[in-house]
Amino acid sequence: MSANVREIQASDYEREVTDATAPVVLDFFSTECPPCEALAPKYEAVADQFVSRVQFLKVFRQGNRELAAQLGVTSSPTLLFFKAGKEHGQRLTGDIKRSEIKAAVEALLG
Amino acid sequence: MAERFDLVVVGAGPAGLTAAIYAARARLKTIVLDEGLPGGQVKTTHKVSNYPGFPEDVKGSELAALFAKQAERFGARIARAIEITEMELKSRDKRFVLDEEEEISAPAVIVATGAKPRPLGIPGETDFRGRGLSYCATCDGAYFEGKDIHVIGGGNSAVEESLFLTQFAKSVTIIHQFDHFQAEAATTKEALENPKIKVLWKHEPRAFVGDTTLDSVRVENLTTQATQDLKTDGVFIFVGMVPRTELLKNVVPLDKWGCVETDDAMSTGVPGLYAAGDIRAKKFRQITTAVADGTIAALAVQKFLRESRG
Repeated sequence: MSANVREIQASDYEREVTDATAPVVLDFFSTECPPCEALAPKYEAVADQFVSRVQFLKVFRQGNRELAAQLGVTSSPTLLFFKAGKEHGQRLTGDIKRSEIKAAVEALLG
Repeated sequence: MAERFDLVVVGAGPAGLTAAIYAARARLKTIVLDEGLPGGQVKTTHKVSNYPGFPEDVKGSELAALFAKQAERFGARIARAIEITEMELKSRDKRFVLDEEEEISAPAVIVATGAKPRPLGIPGETDFRGRGLSYCATCDGAYFEGKDIHVIGGGNSAVEESLFLTQFAKSVTIIHQFDHFQAEAATTKEALENPKIKVLWKHEPRAFVGDTTLDSVRVENLTTQATQDLKTDGVFIFVGMVPRTELLKNVVPLDKWGCVETDDAMSTGVPGLYAAGDIRAKKFRQITTAVADGTIAALAVQKFLRESRG
């Protein structure tokens, strides 16, 4: 995993996401999920491009079911975008392209 | 400087990977490009029962990995999770730019980009995607442990994936427009005998309803035309596939379903450009027919390269 993508747990959510001042992207992933595996290298590549401007986090859904339920996430992978602790823009889910992540992150910064 | 290949295969499903096996064994320098991981639709199929050579069922993800391993064993390169950001397919020397940075070229290209799930095209579908709506049972089934869910469709995928979903869900209600399934007889029997599966025959979904997450599916009874909202924890949609022809739509003519017409050697009519698998205009779309297309396309490419090199 790229050093620019960190895995968090539900207990870190408040500190890392809602209390964060920098924009955050959060990836819910699962095991036995081919689109999640396919997303990982693209997510890392975009994280490397925006290093120090945007925090790229991931959370393992099976280990954090309540957080997924609380956020209404029912599909893996799902990317959520946060600006000043509030969810921003459209979620991305399913087969996600690298250019789509990049466009969403640019919108987050814009 | 663009890296030169003999053959670029676009799409690493059964058609593309079989083409790569044949091409690589013929010592063609071959690269297979895919937006995700190798395997195409097979990799998210929970089990495959009708692919010869596997008398016990094989998991789709395992079969996909085996196809890829075999292609790589003979020297084909599989470029995973890449995006084609530019391309030129009509010229003699065909060019691709990958992820805006890497450039490759080849005299022959096989497009085997397959098909993707057909959306229903009804209100709420886009809004609730990933918020209760799914097109992939292996990816999302575990989100619905102990829940009451609905499946839309009545073909092989819908009925087989419903059976898979009973591992997690408390109940699976299949909503189907006809009064019988289009799935294979063996699968149909298994589903109808499963105590967790209920079927709402002759009903069609009209909308997905909810606030921020999906709450219910609005269905119409096709006999009485009455509509009602059914409470649901989640809905899986399996109503067929549409060809992924974005790459070819301005390059070759497509038929009215958006498929590519080829001759029986998989040629599109553009010299050096071939199509194989579910993207082709044809009657039946199976792993076995995709594999056959991939074989033919790779053999046709070998002949084309021999002739064009004199």
